[in-house]
Amino acid sequence: MTGTHTDTATEPTPPREDGGPGPRAPGRSRRDLALLIMPTVVLVLLLLTLSTRNSDLLTADGLLALADSAAPLMVLAIGATLVILCGGIDLSIAALAALSSVLFAMWIPSLGPAAAVAVVAVGGLAGAVQGLVHVTAKVNSFIVTLGGLALWSGIALVISGARTVPVTDIGAIQWAFTDVAGIPSAVLIALAVVVVLGAVLRLTPAGRWVRAVGHAEQAARLSGIPVGAVKVAAFTASGACAGLAGVLLVARTFSGAPTLGATLLLPAVAAVVVGGTAITGGLGGIGRTVVGALIVIVLRVGLSLVGVDAGFESIIYGVLIIGAVALTIDRAKLDVLK
Amino acid sequence: MAADATPHAPPRSLEPAPLAGAPAPGAGGDGDKGNGTAASTALPGRARVSRNADVVQTWASLIALGVLVVVFAAISPQFRTLGNLQQIIDAAAVLAVLATGITFVLLLGAIDLSLPGVIGACAMTVSLLVANSRNDNDLGLLGVGLTIGLGAMFGLLSGVLSTRLRIPTFMTTLGMSAIGIGIATILFGGSRPVVLDENLNAWATSRIGGFTLMSLIAVAAVATGWAIQRWTRVGRYAAAIGGGEDIVALSGVSVARYKALAFGVAGAFYGLGAVMVTARLGSGVVEAGAGLDFAAITAAVIGGTLLSGGRGGVLQSMIGVVALTVLANGLILTGVSPYVQQAVQGVIVVLAVAVAVWPVRHRLGVVK
Repeated sequence: MTGTHTDTATEPTPPREDGGPGPRAPGRSRRDLALLIMPTVVLVLLLLTLSTRNSDLLTADGLLALADSAAPLMVLAIGATLVILCGGIDLSIAALAALSSVLFAMWIPSLGPAAAVAVVAVGGLAGAVQGLVHVTAKVNSFIVTLGGLALWSGIALVISGARTVPVTDIGAIQWAFTDVAGIPSAVLIALAVVVVLGAVLRLTPAGRWVRAVGHAEQAARLSGIPVGAVKVAAFTASGACAGLAGVLLVARTFSGAPTLGATLLLPAVAAVVVGGTAITGGLGGIGRTVVGALIVIVLRVGLSLVGVDAGFESIIYGVLIIGAVALTIDRAKLDVLK
Repeated sequence: MAADATPHAPPRSLEPAPLAGAPAPGAGGDGDKGNGTAASTALPGRARVSRNADVVQTWASLIALGVLVVVFAAISPQFRTLGNLQQIIDAAAVLAVLATGITFVLLLGAIDLSLPGVIGACAMTVSLLVANSRNDNDLGLLGVGLTIGLGAMFGLLSGVLSTRLRIPTFMTTLGMSAIGIGIATILFGGSRPVVLDENLNAWATSRIGGFTLMSLIAVAAVATGWAIQRWTRVGRYAAAIGGGEDIVALSGVSVARYKALAFGVAGAFYGLGAVMVTARLGSGVVEAGAGLDFAAITAAVIGGTLLSGGRGGVLQSMIGVVALTVLANGLILTGVSPYVQQAVQGVIVVLAVAVAVWPVRHRLGVVK
């Protein structure tokens, strides 16, 4: 699983479009390298520490179960990573996943398994709307998506009547919790998202565009990159990922839950920043978020193994977010801090 | 690069009129007129233009509130009763205190997403410090004071972390919210502490002149907030920092210190808000603050406090609080699902911010 983050290994090489001060460049790239390796080291150490308490964890079954439970969070966080790479933030992902889970559970009776496609499309559309508002009206992305958070969770509550929506036809989501060649299909779906988005970022100009927009938007605009389109695309992908995460969550719980959003945002943001993606944009990648999501899940499993109060989990998310942001942020880009 | 990243930091004061000319939704139209006057008279009469813009802004918000009241009064007979007026004011009490607090943060141009956590932690703390069903504490008013202090500590910590580690405030406060919820969950420990303190419960039940004690406390708190904003350095510098942080720093003010203090003041108000929520619910609830962050931000924005900082104030936010409460009250009386409110709030915030920046959007460089 840790091998998937190799796609970020080439990152320090592209020239710094932000025109950062020359003398600091070597120090920065060492720091970049540290940010690249640290999360993986932390993940391995966490796994080793936990395996001393529970020897089943490091077996193939244990790791697969871990990856299975990490899959929805991973998909959610990967989408958010794209927006953060552009220098924005998407706070609406968790609420959108909750709305998607409700829609999926409600649409299964009429659409069957195809409901999943419809839900992902709706998620993408919702993301696109947020991206368009952000780009055309020039409203900060965190305000747009904060509004989105309220809007999507409000809609989810209204259409579900604030109740969980049970899935009546288990057959329609059979595919989502069967094993393919011994690997849970949720893991395969998450891997497919990683591979597809990773390939798009690596093999097409999209990856360079996204990072260029995140590094230095003005420079990117002047060099002819369609900045607005790149941003809207990132938000659309983020919304679609949130929709898919909602589908995966329904497959785990057999119901759509309108209040899911409250518990998913923090782990998802934590996964992105702990993986080493800087919230100032440009620096980071999908592979890092995969590692970050695994760290968050291993922490969660570990805490329940050790038997600490559930409250500490939330405190750890908070400390992780603040600590990881403080470590990864590129302060050269923030001259006035808001 | 500095100029790119903060497109409107130095010349911010040239732009107040167009920004304020099109404030709350439903008050469009005069934005273009304001734009022209600002451009031509900005430099000589900057203070007066700014004052005028404030007045236009305030009137626009008030007119929007008036329209809301008239519409609901026309639709619903229950709405236009004296009892409902009292109900609206009582319902607005908590939000008024929270919006007063968050106004200080928004004046800075910062944002505070820590309310759910801070209120959760403070609500659990106060319910465990006064006479309650879980332990033998009976600190009464001292417990309330300690809780307000705890809220202030949370706020200070958010402010200090943001300024010292140089992290954007929405990230710091998102993290602080998680920490607060965690602390609240630990304090909760599986059984809900019921408040047995008669004086605290009386906040929600005993009435003076038709209004609950809580409403009167809220009025006093808002007045205090207004005084802090008007007459203390924390309040004055908060607005100045939001208007142009670099200029304030150049004039020798310790920006970091006053930012942290503004967060601290905000936190104290959240603490009081948590006490009021607890008095209303009659027990300590971890999720007491859920959704209140968004309501408070919405109220402040409707009132005309700009999220980019430097403009607005406690009294303007109060217009927003009343408007939001009237909206909630009216929607319920006209039979709309209460969950619709949340969705409506989401749209209102984005719309209000979009309308405010629309006339100057081409002058904004990079918007993250």
